[in-house]
Amino acid sequence: MGSKNTYIGAVEIGTSKVTALVGEYTGREIVIIGYGECSSRGVIKGSVVDYRSATECTHNALELAERDANERIDHVFLAQTGGHLEGFYNEASLNVKAADNMIEPDDIRTVCELAKSKDLPLGRMVVHNIRRPFRVDGRLIPTSPENLVGQRLEVGYWTVHGQEQRLADNIHVIRGFNLEVRELVLSSLASGHMVTSMEERQNGVLAIDIGAGTTDFVLYRNGAPHTTGVLAVGGGHFTNDLSIGLRLTEAQAEKLKVRFGRALVQARDKSEKVWLDGNFSIGDRQFARQAIESITAARAWELMEVVRKKLGQAFEPEACAAGVVLTGGGAKLPAIADCASKVFGTQARLGEAPSWVNENLRDPGYHTALGTLYYGVSAQGDRAALSRRKGGFLQNMSRLFAST
Amino acid sequence: MSKDIFILPETRSWRDIPQQVKPRAMSSEGRRRLLMKAVRATMGAIVFSGVAWGAWEVAEVVRDPSAIPDAAKSERIRSLVLVTDGVLDKDWLAKTLALPSDATLMGTDLMKLRSRVLENAQVRSATILRNFPDTLTVRISERSPVARLMAQAGSDRPRMYLVSRDGAAFEGTGFDPGMVDSLPWLDGVRLARRDGAILPIAGMVAVSDLLASAKLEAEGLYRTWQVVSIERLASDGQIEVHTKDGMKVVFGTREDYLRQIARLDLLIDANSDPTRPLRVVDLSLGAQVPVAYGTASPSIIEKPESASSTPAPGPQITFPAFSNLQPAARRGL
Repeated sequence: MGSKNTYIGAVEIGTSKVTALVGEYTGREIVIIGYGECSSRGVIKGSVVDYRSATECTHNALELAERDANERIDHVFLAQTGGHLEGFYNEASLNVKAADNMIEPDDIRTVCELAKSKDLPLGRMVVHNIRRPFRVDGRLIPTSPENLVGQRLEVGYWTVHGQEQRLADNIHVIRGFNLEVRELVLSSLASGHMVTSMEERQNGVLAIDIGAGTTDFVLYRNGAPHTTGVLAVGGGHFTNDLSIGLRLTEAQAEKLKVRFGRALVQARDKSEKVWLDGNFSIGDRQFARQAIESITAARAWELMEVVRKKLGQAFEPEACAAGVVLTGGGAKLPAIADCASKVFGTQARLGEAPSWVNENLRDPGYHTALGTLYYGVSAQGDRAALSRRKGGFLQNMSRLFAST
Repeated sequence: MSKDIFILPETRSWRDIPQQVKPRAMSSEGRRRLLMKAVRATMGAIVFSGVAWGAWEVAEVVRDPSAIPDAAKSERIRSLVLVTDGVLDKDWLAKTLALPSDATLMGTDLMKLRSRVLENAQVRSATILRNFPDTLTVRISERSPVARLMAQAGSDRPRMYLVSRDGAAFEGTGFDPGMVDSLPWLDGVRLARRDGAILPIAGMVAVSDLLASAKLEAEGLYRTWQVVSIERLASDGQIEVHTKDGMKVVFGTREDYLRQIARLDLLIDANSDPTRPLRVVDLSLGAQVPVAYGTASPSIIEKPESASSTPAPGPQITFPAFSNLQPAARRGL
């Protein structure tokens, strides 16, 4: 193997599973050469609650991925989710200093610094600063306003911040394997980037990643992330609802959800019954199909409504021409796209991985890990360019998302 | 220009989280990786230190030859190897280096030997290597002569020098006498010396190109060339060639030599009259080629019918001889 190739690791510590990928980056393309997966333990709603268990399963996944790749990685990109992550929008503006009103790099730097700097509550830390397009005297400038002429320069940042201890816990799990965490990547950005095209992001699209413990969403406008969010509700809650509603164990409820759950009620016949196991074993019982569908559909509807409510004024169906794209393990629930379509009043579809992704990794449950790896690759390329330009990483990241 | 000062609140990024963890918080694989990393770092440091130490020792030896161990110093040169792309031989090398019989490999100053080798202008470049345990290897690149000249310094007897393409003049050792005799003589040159060495002759590249073109494309003509004068090269851009049969050919440096040689060849072919041999051909004016005819030696001139028909002595200049080199013009002759 060529010495110039870079081996990049991507890790997603999810509520149901931990996924680790190793990608070989040749400078032009990424080849996934290693894959490791392990059932998650010690993680609830995206947060580590049992360090030892979470460490064990994460390290197992990393070992499997390294063994599969037959290469060692030195750093990873870590997907980040959890209900503790929040975002806010902050903008700044300044008068262009030059006498001829030509915008200089110094103006851009200053306005960006002003927009990014906002006091956070104690114990909160910035995870991402996502820049929205510049405005010069009201004109929308998606890339750089340098050398343009105008009197007033404005920019806004969507800042995602999280709780320090929870971020540190995730990082320490990786460091326990003696690996450096090179970057934290918001899960919604990672999966959203995988399942939406550049054109869709330009036209406006909402990507919703329904995981086991959390639901991450990102709204794209003008080709750049506009708003992100995380709900501490995921596929696990569907199971939990079924478990309580039908008085079942978690495992039994999970089985029923996978086999008969739907995001919209389809069964019209109340007397239609389905078997729990269907193998005539002791304890096998019958349940009304409509009851199962009603429970899962209610939760799915509620989930979509909460997302819509969280987005608030930011979501307008007419400004979201590409509609809603659903991904994550929870998106496998039948009719979830129809449910989303009804709630958001726009078209909705299930997200698909790009064609270059291996058949084994095309399941919606892997989109976050793949997106994290893809982000890692972009960041590597961008970092090389960055070292030539001597810019800051945050500017770089903003450029990355703005350009895509 | 005044600069605006903004006092911005300090926002903390996730990068402020220290990534160090205690080994006890690591898994067994993590500890193993940490150990391997430490081992690799140690090995790297050892290798680096070794290389640095070796480099320092070598630097010390180069700086102070007295630091060379006596055992190494005492190893005598038993074999002298010459690698060359020319004609110089081992005897010349031995004579030039003049190594004492007890010269040792490490005790010999290679730079001094190299300058001795380079004193002979026939050597273009030289590299001297110590090949342990007892061999001194001299690699040289030699100059090839393109012309020769005879020069006299003061009251010394005249000496023949060979001249290379880059203008270096050297006495020439080991060349085949037949090859040396075939070289044309160079005229119109004044040799100059500085610090005992002859300075390169200017304009030899142009002469070399002319001679090479003639040798390659019209060897028959080249063999008749006896003297090449560069007296008017710097001032008029002309090279004069004097042939064995007394003809002077003037070449210009501004036009392609091959074309000029072709014109010369055409002229010689066209002039089939043995009673009016060509004496001067000026090819430096492009398509206009002034020529001067002479009279042939009495042996080949038939007896004239009357004294009045005898041509006047001295060259007859016809200008122009050719308006171009078209066959029609040739027929006009």
